[in-house]
Amino acid sequence: MYSDAHLVVMRTARPGGIMIAGEIDISNTAAVAASLRDEFDGGTDPHLDLSRVSFVDVSGIRALVGLALQMAPNQRLLVHGLAAELETVLKVTGWADLPGLELCSCAGEA
Amino acid sequence: MTDPSPSAVNRFRHEALFYSGSAEFVNGTVPFVREGVASGEPVLVVESPEKIKTLRAALERDADQVFFADMSEVGANPARIIPAWCDFVNRHWVPGKSLRGIGEPIWSSRGADELVECQRHESLLNVAFGRGRPWSLLCPYDTATLRPEVIDEARRSHEFIVEGGSARRSENFRGIDASAAAFSAPLASAPPPLDEVTFEKGDLRRVRELVRKRAVAAGLDESRAYTLAVATNEVATNSILHGGGSGTLRIWQDVDRVICEVRDRGVFDLPLVDREAPGPDPSSPRGLWLANQLCDLVQIRTFHEATVVRLHMRLDPRANLSLVTDVESTEATMILPP
Repeated sequence: MYSDAHLVVMRTARPGGIMIAGEIDISNTAAVAASLRDEFDGGTDPHLDLSRVSFVDVSGIRALVGLALQMAPNQRLLVHGLAAELETVLKVTGWADLPGLELCSCAGEA
Repeated sequence: MTDPSPSAVNRFRHEALFYSGSAEFVNGTVPFVREGVASGEPVLVVESPEKIKTLRAALERDADQVFFADMSEVGANPARIIPAWCDFVNRHWVPGKSLRGIGEPIWSSRGADELVECQRHESLLNVAFGRGRPWSLLCPYDTATLRPEVIDEARRSHEFIVEGGSARRSENFRGIDASAAAFSAPLASAPPPLDEVTFEKGDLRRVRELVRKRAVAAGLDESRAYTLAVATNEVATNSILHGGGSGTLRIWQDVDRVICEVRDRGVFDLPLVDREAPGPDPSSPRGLWLANQLCDLVQIRTFHEATVVRLHMRLDPRANLSLVTDVESTEATMILPP
């Protein structure tokens, strides 16, 4: 779906969703956000596997939050495998409690 | 403009209490707390555990009506104190009622860098609250142990002072506008850095790797080294997006800490941006707020045509216990019986 020197975005079959591997910062946030937007177009709760993401900056988290804010009222973005330090970032930036975003603690098995 | 009494508060009242010894501390603070309790005002005391113990004993049953929080936790990084007061005021303010706080951010064993940031914090309190809701904040200063120049600065950062038992306006108060002016206090001289690199868009990955590697080599554990890289990345991102497109990163080690310095050609003109809790609006700025929540100390300076940000991370992780400060841990330490 998208790749650069430090990042790959790909579809996963079970469960249906997207896996990202690599590092997200301002050099590729816009591209990542665009590829995610195209993919999640309503329907079931989308899964996003970040267990192979070694870094997300605030711009990347902002993109995920933007995606979560676009979810339908009964839909949630299920995020798997976010590193503990990055979960802290999500909390202290005030974004941990969005209704459209759920952090799953299933060791990134998406 | 002549009323020196804290009981007639119709706007923010920022007052320094100069005391020497425990008896003067108690005499200067207990009536202030009792008056608040008697008028049904919410009262929060942010002090050292020892002083909280002293106050609880002196207040007797009135202590049950007071919130207490540990300044060594809340104010480990002094830039986290204003958010704590904001939280207190926003939670407990009701129309027509005032609130009271006691906060002692400066003590004699504060390091030199921390002291300057605490003094900046005292000034910024005027900016954060000076034109907002009415409440009264009393800031004790221990004249027996603090240097005279620290007391002098308190006269400039507080509109009122209590000295020898009587309250009056401080003739030296710098005012709200000057409190908000760009901060250019000199930074401590730095040793030759372990690394000095310039960066621009596309170099952030290299910046993060360098910070992590150096921080681990200096003795930070992996998690805190990673966290320092996260914070440095955000500050460097600001340089790229808002600071002229590039910047210079320098890393060095001090006795008890690793310091990352980012220098760029940006203009830093939002004095509270690093201590205003971001709301859910995705577009609001978060980088410097995040740095303050993650690092033990953040120093921001505006010099002639340059902005400098220094991020400090202590080698001793116990100094960063209040990492996820805000709501959760502040609540845990603020106990108000029903």
